[in-house]
Amino acid sequence: MTSPVIEIEGLRKTFHSLRRGRRVAVDGFDLLVEAGQVHGFLGPNGSGKTTTLRALLGLVRADSGSMRVLGATTPERLPEVAGRVGAIVESPQFYGNFTGYRTLRLLALAGGVPVTRVDEVLAQVGLADRGDERVKGYSLGMKQRLAVASALLKRPELLILDEPANGLDPAGIREMRDLVRSLAANGVTVLVSSHILAEIQLICDHVTIISRGRRVTAGPVTEVLAGFDDHEHLVRVDDLGRAEELLRAAGITVTGHDDHLVVSGVPDPVAVSRTLGEQGLWVRELTPLRPDLESVFLELTGGSAHPHIPWQVGSAPPDQPTTDQQIDLGMRGVDA
Amino acid sequence: MNLIRAEVERLTARRFVQLMVVLLMAAFVVTAATTLAGSHQPTPAELAQAQRAAASDLRSMELEHARCLARDRGERFPGDDHLYLPRDCSELDPALRDRLPVAADYLTGVFTFTRQAEPLLYFLVAYLVLFGFLVGASYIGADLNSGGVVNLLLWRPRRLTVLGTKLGTLLGAVLTVSALASLAYLVTFWVIAQVAGYPGPTNAAFWSGLGAVWGRGLILVLLATATGFAIATMGRHTSAALGAVAAYLVVWELGGRIVLQILDVARPEQLMLGSYIGAWLAGEVSFWDSTACRTVTQGYCDGSYTLTWQPALAVLVLLTAGLSATAFAIFRRRDLI
Repeated sequence: MTSPVIEIEGLRKTFHSLRRGRRVAVDGFDLLVEAGQVHGFLGPNGSGKTTTLRALLGLVRADSGSMRVLGATTPERLPEVAGRVGAIVESPQFYGNFTGYRTLRLLALAGGVPVTRVDEVLAQVGLADRGDERVKGYSLGMKQRLAVASALLKRPELLILDEPANGLDPAGIREMRDLVRSLAANGVTVLVSSHILAEIQLICDHVTIISRGRRVTAGPVTEVLAGFDDHEHLVRVDDLGRAEELLRAAGITVTGHDDHLVVSGVPDPVAVSRTLGEQGLWVRELTPLRPDLESVFLELTGGSAHPHIPWQVGSAPPDQPTTDQQIDLGMRGVDA
Repeated sequence: MNLIRAEVERLTARRFVQLMVVLLMAAFVVTAATTLAGSHQPTPAELAQAQRAAASDLRSMELEHARCLARDRGERFPGDDHLYLPRDCSELDPALRDRLPVAADYLTGVFTFTRQAEPLLYFLVAYLVLFGFLVGASYIGADLNSGGVVNLLLWRPRRLTVLGTKLGTLLGAVLTVSALASLAYLVTFWVIAQVAGYPGPTNAAFWSGLGAVWGRGLILVLLATATGFAIATMGRHTSAALGAVAAYLVVWELGGRIVLQILDVARPEQLMLGSYIGAWLAGEVSFWDSTACRTVTQGYCDGSYTLTWQPALAVLVLLTAGLSATAFAIFRRRDLI
């Protein structure tokens, strides 16, 4: 059994501003990240991702709720485990006139890390040849790499990356992906927040989605996607009209399109090919339509009151404070 | 210790700090060069003439005092009829003067160390106060604004320790720079006086007086540095400190002074921070209270009053400590977003 590395329960944070008044940024949010996971943390802009990470790292004072990092209650006991946690929060800023090397050297000095480690992490993020250049000459992607390098200086057991792919070009994104994978392979637990959903789907094994300050779903990526699988298939035949009639007659839900049909609620596609084949209609294409993280994300965060949203135990829809509707993600499909 | 090392390196590597040090050196060089160019070593004849003039002046003062004392005894001095003499002869007593005429007073085109060291030191202290305030404000202001503090707190999530280390490092660095700069400054002008001017008569009283100004100046620099740091911490930005000082000067020292005069408030200087800064630096400052003698219709009325360095120090320390404590309290609870 794996041990929890990050535990957040009932986190609530409200910001007060003279201009904008009171704003609830995080509203009873829960998060559980276990050791060894590469955990994706998704949410639309302003959903509370960064506030959650800042609260976890002691940069923002929570109104209520409990948080533990590597077993230590935060922010009270955060200093005890800070040396084992590497983090970047949003787009980190550095002194433009300092070189990349000096920037990391100062952090290493402050954190009691051997300065020899600076060259190692610069090489790890692909900045070995640019370390003696001033940060103001760095591109956004290079600054992002420098930020990741600063998080890696401590050889962290837990790495928290807030939007690490910001500003990176496709090659940089791939390198970042490989880096995260290699860290995970070496036993580092990674919590990565991002809005690049395809990237999260590629590198993360678990995911938590937040919307309006509340968790809307969480679990292994495969289970989250499976929960939204309507068992839909794309069907191409020569006579679309006749095929649609035959499938409906067989009790299959069909949606017609210009050059194809989409059938849903069909766990086994053989039922489609057999129904049509028995009537002399030969199927030219039968492709399963699987939900991806983007469609799940949009469904969950774009319309929170959608009846199909499968609320996981421990979370509640943003506008409903009770837990009456809590339904285990793995037990309910979207057609309920 | 590592945190202190890192902060020292961060502070010394900052462009603004380097620029201020360069400006300090430039001001130093310009002042020294113009002094050197405008001064010459007095010839024995010039020196002798100046000494004679000083001695003559001193004799005149003694004579005037003697006349006054003679008047009190009822004796007559030739030419007394047209001479004004004060009621209190101690006003004329040369022994009670702040300073007596010296040869340096009569040397023209000659840099005299004993006469000009103190004003030169005041000039340097004024620069160092500005230096400390701006460096203190920009050091933490830029760090808060750029996210440097957040980066550091991810490594050392102890806010008070981090802020305290920053302030301690800053004060230590500013004190070191100020002490070294002012020593180098005085030594340079001492050498200029030796080779191209006149050192003047130095004694223990002169050196202790100069040392007191130097010590009080360094303390003022530290207080200004801590104040700049504290206000920028509270306002999260360097400009907060600059804005606060500008607003104080315009609103209170300028506007407030006018309002207090209109309202005929007694001793308005007591309400001005500038008065306490002056009193601290100079040891004491005298002011004239125009309202004090308004009701006195007969006899002599002295409306002057003095601010001494003790209450001045108390006011300045309390203000700085209060601002610093507030800054730490705010920073401890602030959301860093």
